[in-house]
Amino acid sequence: MDLDYDFMISDLPTVLAGLPKTLILTFWSMLFAIAMAVVFGGLILSRVPILKQSVIIINTFIKGVPLTVQLLFCYYAVPYVAKGCNGFLGYQYNPRHIPYFAAAVFALAANFGAYITDVVVSSMRAVDRGQYEAADAVGMNKFQGITHLIIPQAAVISIPSMTNYFIWLLKGTALASIVNVVEMLTTAKISAADGYQYLEAYIDAAVIYWAVCAGIEFMMGRFEHHIGFFMRQPESRVRPISS
Amino acid sequence: MPTHVLQSVLPGLLQQVPTTLLYWFVPSAIALLLGTLLCIVRVGQHRVLYWACTVFISFFRGTPGIVQIYIIFFGLPKLFWAVHVDIDGWPAGAYFIIATSLNLSCFVCEVLKGGYLGVDHGQIEAGKSIGFGRFQNFFRVIAPQTLQISILNLKNLEIDVLKDTSVAYTIGAMEILGYANRVISNQFGVGQLWILGVAAIIYFILCALLELGFTAASHHMERHGRRS
Repeated sequence: MDLDYDFMISDLPTVLAGLPKTLILTFWSMLFAIAMAVVFGGLILSRVPILKQSVIIINTFIKGVPLTVQLLFCYYAVPYVAKGCNGFLGYQYNPRHIPYFAAAVFALAANFGAYITDVVVSSMRAVDRGQYEAADAVGMNKFQGITHLIIPQAAVISIPSMTNYFIWLLKGTALASIVNVVEMLTTAKISAADGYQYLEAYIDAAVIYWAVCAGIEFMMGRFEHHIGFFMRQPESRVRPISS
Repeated sequence: MPTHVLQSVLPGLLQQVPTTLLYWFVPSAIALLLGTLLCIVRVGQHRVLYWACTVFISFFRGTPGIVQIYIIFFGLPKLFWAVHVDIDGWPAGAYFIIATSLNLSCFVCEVLKGGYLGVDHGQIEAGKSIGFGRFQNFFRVIAPQTLQISILNLKNLEIDVLKDTSVAYTIGAMEILGYANRVISNQFGVGQLWILGVAAIIYFILCALLELGFTAASHHMERHGRRS
């Protein structure tokens, strides 16, 4: 198999230069996704009559539609939205600089927000009921109990699922390359266009994605181990009778 | 709502539904087989095979699906050319199916592994004790219970795969989204949001049907475990 190994090695820094853009896209999408998930999850948990049902309907629809379709929809819709926002908060509409990055962030955040809502709801429900009673017993009111006792525990419970979705999102940002957002895959594509060495550039990109995902998984595992100390069972001094 | 856009586009979109279902079904069938084999290696004793499979799975789980599709799309012809086989005539859909099958196998393997570890070990010993051979034990005891435990995770995977068929248009395979995109560019973007909206609703209906099917299947599988 004739791969251009020299190009593959020399192109690696070029592709790596696209990594920060991928990470920035991931960061903003994750931030808005979590914000959306917290609001939606709060509405579901607080059982506000009509809002709860509408949140569930919105989430179900978002989950049933491919991310690709959502990205393309936002890509085509963003010029209209940008035109409508002309003059709003000092934003100047410029047809030459349409905010495709913001469109991609919106699509990714909406998509992953719907999934992360489930994580928020199930983590909050996973906290032991006794903790609420404990908050009552030490004289905290409901708000204090939730902010001081329940949310910190739910956050730790949700770390493994959040890590999963974070990695999914990092991989999902590669799809943003189809809507004119310059991130790592687009960088690889552009760098390969001169000599039609696409395969080499894509292998570079794959290696970087692989390394980043493996690194994040490892780090979050350590982090959870570190922060979740209170959930570990204390080591029993009595050896259990082996069966 | 421009009715004429809908009238002219909807039949064409619906005609692409079988293609999308094909791009969903073939990888699913291959992945169930390949995933089972990977899973047997992952829970088995062979060290070299175990590590080879672990690296393989880690790669496919750690890189975006679209990158894998591109690599297969550009790499497979080169690989075949090295042994003097020309596969340039293959349709783009074939590359998509190969890439998705490999990707999905790794995810199916992990789901099945979780299910296998959830099967009570006593069941396997019970199978041996009544004289089942290895294959009989696998098909009569291990496989049904593993499937029953992992069916809900499999359902999520299959829905993801059905949705990810829409990525196929990036390498030129024609399916629902590919057709929608072609119509959009043919019409210079007239009614683009409506066309994409219709495509979204078709995908949503397909996903809902798949979900109903899997729920019925899992209900059917749990029939022995229910207490009346």
